[in-house]
Amino acid sequence: MTEVLSPGTIEEAVAMLAEYGEAMPLSGGATLIAMRNAALVEPSHLVSLDRISDLRGIDRTADGKIRIGAMTRHCETAACAELTGSLYVLRRAAGMIANRVVRNMGTMGGSVANADPAADYLPALACCDAMLEIAGADGRRSLSIHDYIDDWYETALAEGEIITAITLPAPVEAPSTYRKIARVSGDYATASCAMALDPDGQGMRVAIGACGPGPLRDRAGEDALRGKLGEPAAVAEFAGKLVAIADPVDDVRGSAEYRLRLIPRLVSSVLSELTTQKETA
Amino acid sequence: MKIEGEFEVEAPRTEVWKKIQDPQIMGACIPGCDSIEQLDDTSYRAQVSVKVGPIKARFNLLVEVLEEQPEHTILSRTSGEEGTRASVVNSDNVLRLADTDSGGTRVDYVADVSVTGRLGKFGLGIFRKKADQLAGQFVENFREKLGVTA
Amino acid sequence: MMAKKVLHSLTLNGEEVQVASAAGATLLETLREDLRILSSKRGCNQGVCGACTVLVDGKPVRSCLTLTARCVGHSVQTMEGMDGDQIMATLQRHMVESGGVQCGFCTGGVLISARELLEDNPSPTREAVKTALSGNICRCTGYRTIVDAVCGAAEELSQ
Repeated sequence: MTEVLSPGTIEEAVAMLAEYGEAMPLSGGATLIAMRNAALVEPSHLVSLDRISDLRGIDRTADGKIRIGAMTRHCETAACAELTGSLYVLRRAAGMIANRVVRNMGTMGGSVANADPAADYLPALACCDAMLEIAGADGRRSLSIHDYIDDWYETALAEGEIITAITLPAPVEAPSTYRKIARVSGDYATASCAMALDPDGQGMRVAIGACGPGPLRDRAGEDALRGKLGEPAAVAEFAGKLVAIADPVDDVRGSAEYRLRLIPRLVSSVLSELTTQKETA
Repeated sequence: MKIEGEFEVEAPRTEVWKKIQDPQIMGACIPGCDSIEQLDDTSYRAQVSVKVGPIKARFNLLVEVLEEQPEHTILSRTSGEEGTRASVVNSDNVLRLADTDSGGTRVDYVADVSVTGRLGKFGLGIFRKKADQLAGQFVENFREKLGVTA
Repeated sequence: MMAKKVLHSLTLNGEEVQVASAAGATLLETLREDLRILSSKRGCNQGVCGACTVLVDGKPVRSCLTLTARCVGHSVQTMEGMDGDQIMATLQRHMVESGGVQCGFCTGGVLISARELLEDNPSPTREAVKTALSGNICRCTGYRTIVDAVCGAAEELSQ
């Protein structure tokens, strides 16, 4: 039988997780409670994070960065006016998660911790070069989103650690967006694309979702592509590198082969959407 | 779901055959295998744990050798379930050994696996990735037991 | 196995209630099994079908994915507590008139999702209605009559 614990501080929460071996942290519950209902997980204790005020809210730090508390609900992120320009991609991704009711429940920290390869935040956060703030019984640390995913559903989070916040670089004026290919509105992505142009319009950052254990990002390829966004052959060559590092699954949402074919099309069509936006801005 | 693959080892077929017949060696090579015991000439019992993200499962497996053609083919069937939780796994397996031109052995394997119950709810796509990873780890471990490196 | 029960205090449809539920119970279990509030239905118990949707602090959530322990000190509202809500009454009438109710299992969840949409967006397009109801599965109607009802209610309310 599951006991529910409701700590008031991060320190209490990580101490409880360390004390009870079979305890799990509970954020919004949209995935974890579904898994428990299906007997996929059977935690002895659920350490509910919803009474910890330090995990809430979206703030601007002194150096202009945006700090999103891990318990921020998708509906709050989807409505956050601070997420503009280069960070709009994250707001857009939040608004495309599941449906309105689930967006009232699910949280960014919970989604990132669950690390579903087909979920929407990870590619958007990889595109933003986000940092994760992590707390455990041994203290706090921060980690780049690029060092976070180890394998399918395996992350750098150690047993008993929780994500406390997600930090984003200060937004700059540059178009960004998130697009997902899904069977129906509200489904997980078959493949997705998070993209932001550089402020001068000469380069871009792009992360592909649902085509491997974690988001696909090729930063060296992005550097090489700078100044050549208008050359379809160069863009195609770059997209080919993303295809080469992809490792998609075959599942009900699409075959691996179909997903590989989606990647170059997503890259070129989202790029043309953003360059048009830039030109008309 | 079919899990199949092949690999080559720089060891003669007779030696590979012997190692494959030894449950303790096989047990040590199977990722997550907590214990293995021989029940009689053709059957074995094994406990194998697997983990995907937060989902952990421990299977109690019975492996029956259905047909053996010494030193090149083994047909077997694996069946089992999780202790109190309702997942059932069944698998029909074929293992074939062949000589390579360089005096080594090529191992081909095919397992037709079905999983039903609570773990059946988890996407098959991820199952395949996980199965391929486990197979890769097995090959690595097995090479080590033969004293050869890739 | 008898589960250990814990007393939970919450506000249900405007009234303070104390209810003994299993420690790790979901709000859906507490509502249906301990309080006999039957408007929210157990369909999938996975958060997919939407039949269990209720309001917590005025926001629609899946009661099958919400722990009762999380609702202590919060306000829970079910269809039983919607009397006198003008948007809801209009939606209900249009659902009946357009044939949006057949077996009725999904109806409560559909109404709560639709009500949130109309609060946010009083004149949604058909497309917006479909997207807003994408988390509510109906096996009877084929959805068209439900979308008709929500659009009809929106039109009437905006007059």
